[in-house]
Amino acid sequence: MLESLQYIYAPQIINGLSIGVAVILMALGLTIIFGLLDVINMSHGEFYAAGAFFSVTLVAMGVSFWVCLLLVPLLLVPIGFAMERLLIQKVFHYKDRHILTLLLTFGIAMVLEDSYKIIWGANPIKPSAPISGASEILGVMFPNYRLFLMGFGALLILSVWVLIYKTQLGAIVRAAAYDKDMSSSLGIPVMRVYALTFAFGVALAGLAGVLLAPIYSVFPTMGRDFILMAFSVVIVGGLGSIKGAVIAGILLTQLQSISSLYISPVWSDPLVFAVMVLVLMFKPTGLYGSMKNA
Amino acid sequence: MLNPRSRAIRFIELLLLTSAVVLFIVGAILGDTFFLRLATEALIFGGLAMSVDLLLGIVGLLSLGQALYFGFGAYLSAVVLKEISPSFLLAIGIVALASLVLGWVASFIALRSKGVYFALITFGLAQVAAKVVYNTRSLGASDGMMGVPILQIWTPFGSLDAGQPGTFFVITFLTIGGLYALLKYFLTTPMGSLWHAIRSNEDRLPYIGYKSKGPKQVAFVLAAVVASVSGALYPMLRGFVSPELMFFSVSGNAVVTVVLGGVGTLIGPILGSVLLTSFKSIIGTWTVHHHIVIGIIFVVIVVSAPKGLAGLLVRRFSKICSPEGGE
Amino acid sequence: MMDKVEFILKASNLCKRFGGLSAVDNVSFEVKRSGVTSIIGPNGAGKSTLFNLLSGSFMPDSGTVLIGECDITSMNSEARLSAGMARSFQITNLFFDLSVIDNLRIASQALEPHSRLFLPLSKSVIALERADELLEEFGLVEARNQLAGALSHGQQRRLEIAVTLATRPKLLLLDEPTQGMSQADTQETAELIKRLGLNITVLLIEHDVDLVMDLSGTVIVMAQGRKLAEGDPNQVRSNPLVQTAYFGEELA
Repeated sequence: MLESLQYIYAPQIINGLSIGVAVILMALGLTIIFGLLDVINMSHGEFYAAGAFFSVTLVAMGVSFWVCLLLVPLLLVPIGFAMERLLIQKVFHYKDRHILTLLLTFGIAMVLEDSYKIIWGANPIKPSAPISGASEILGVMFPNYRLFLMGFGALLILSVWVLIYKTQLGAIVRAAAYDKDMSSSLGIPVMRVYALTFAFGVALAGLAGVLLAPIYSVFPTMGRDFILMAFSVVIVGGLGSIKGAVIAGILLTQLQSISSLYISPVWSDPLVFAVMVLVLMFKPTGLYGSMKNA
Repeated sequence: MLNPRSRAIRFIELLLLTSAVVLFIVGAILGDTFFLRLATEALIFGGLAMSVDLLLGIVGLLSLGQALYFGFGAYLSAVVLKEISPSFLLAIGIVALASLVLGWVASFIALRSKGVYFALITFGLAQVAAKVVYNTRSLGASDGMMGVPILQIWTPFGSLDAGQPGTFFVITFLTIGGLYALLKYFLTTPMGSLWHAIRSNEDRLPYIGYKSKGPKQVAFVLAAVVASVSGALYPMLRGFVSPELMFFSVSGNAVVTVVLGGVGTLIGPILGSVLLTSFKSIIGTWTVHHHIVIGIIFVVIVVSAPKGLAGLLVRRFSKICSPEGGE
Repeated sequence: MMDKVEFILKASNLCKRFGGLSAVDNVSFEVKRSGVTSIIGPNGAGKSTLFNLLSGSFMPDSGTVLIGECDITSMNSEARLSAGMARSFQITNLFFDLSVIDNLRIASQALEPHSRLFLPLSKSVIALERADELLEEFGLVEARNQLAGALSHGQQRRLEIAVTLATRPKLLLLDEPTQGMSQADTQETAELIKRLGLNITVLLIEHDVDLVMDLSGTVIVMAQGRKLAEGDPNQVRSNPLVQTAYFGEELA
């Protein structure tokens, strides 16, 4: 019994957790963008892909992976900022804006995805893990890179939470989300805050892409494949809830990785999706969501 | 004089009708195959786009997974034609009935939510279905099914050969036209008014005596049937079906088509499909990357002309019509 | 069905809490058939919550609501409409993208059997006639084809009441009908409400105390979730509790 725990479940759990942190990072970006901006970013997956592609290219040019971890999200910030400022804000004033922003970000996703195909080609690229080897913990071997992912990811998630809830900057962002006009009259540059928040959200997605590239490999439709998982996490956790994104992220990735022991991997996506649908049917605002909160 | 919106719709209807007639005659004379088949394909995908527009433009629900029903109709049609009998009416009939049931069942899952959640659920349903079909041996897995026989379509005037591009173009035109007429009929009924009311202000509906669930379900099932019947025509045209028909890009393109043509007009999406299909075909001769061009066009439209081509026409007609009191 | 009973609406021991706050605290009252009854009270008195409980927007934590002999407590809003109760909204809640006549037709559709939903609109004769009737009655004939969203505020408030009246309810709940209206429009609306009160029962929430005293047969005063007083305008006006609630001290 203990042995099966050691040799069968533990690796799956660790696998799940290591992927889970990246999924959570992506979901955090999505849920922050929705919670604070009221925008559903259908192009979020493409920023995840962008992160992966950028990092692969930079590494090939000789830049160290560790530098990429910092550089790539930074590169994505101006892109996200520009997208929000120049495109999303244009449709913001319409009554139909939820649907329009959905359509707009969906269109942008189309453009981005095809751009990746043009620039990098359709074939998958498999970068090697920056940390090789494995360590033995309690008698079980774990790949070092996955251990790193878990630790670093947890640290990042904690930092995001601290940033949003414990800093001045976070307070400003939350104020702007809560009451745009009031904040504006208090001197907060609301439009800039919105754009920065969006940029931050997509940078998180890009970071997830950098982290997961060695595990999943990199190809033009990777964003679209992953987005359903990210949305499932956000929905199950509750749109706009950071706590929800973390808990749902862990739950769903664990579900996915442990279920892969029993059912073929083809069915694990449908399984996660089925869970999402069930949660939506019985608790439409997700585990921790309410109509308006972050 | 009709209001500008009705005029714009009438204009597009006439435009499409005359183009179709001209195309058929010219095509028949010149013995053309390519353009007739292209137009047939445009109509088929136009039917799918109509189903998206019914939900989005009339009821206010964005479905990102109509390809599910389109693919369902295509596969079922292929199976009926291959395994049971190469009969047009039989295939269409079975697909219509089966999609009615499918849509009804799916509505219980999808309609539990609204807005964004609805979009995501429909997205997910289609992704899952596509994956299942892709991995199902008996449906041909990733290769799909081929060898759909060419139909001989029975009419009181004798049998029509669906292999003739001109003939099948007319058949498709009549089928899609029939679906359009069906949807337009619904719009003349109080059910149609309730749909508009839901789109305008869903919360008020119970206070005037109606739960929004019922009308939404009717629209949802209708959209499933329209998408499926359109899909049923696909194997008749191309002779095969493949899982690609259920992929997100099909649902996505349908949405683009709707926005391009004009949300809420039903005929706009058909026009949009004609334009998009032609466009893809032209661009396709230069490059394989038509998605990026279409994507850019789409983004430009959403930002600057969200009501699409029909919307532009409405604006044009409003200027002409303006001395009239009220709309 | 309703002829035997004196009252048309009976609320008994209604309670509604939100978190720790008791928005409606053990409120009971009866509304007699015909005439205008008003509910007034300072801000936060719980009038809106009470209205929402009566109209089915919220369910009470405890207590009952009866229309005649019919217990509607657990009924949702559409069912209450069938039972004869309709409500209007304080923040105009029309179908703004649709024309005035379409708003009225849709609101009247419930007069027709469900089967008519699938037949052409022209077959819904009752609904169409009712819509035209309302158009006339509420002075909206010229605005017939205008979008509801394009009307003036006064016109919108009138349309709001017209929509509520479409199904000929026995009991009309009006939520601050003159909210934001000009003097002239308020006067007109007051006349309208008086006329309505002759044939059906009107229950309204209002902030304009003078208007209420002028219009109503019965006035109910609420404060802090409880019913403070109930009676005809004069009785209520001279009630010391009421004066305290509104003005914080007794008036001479």
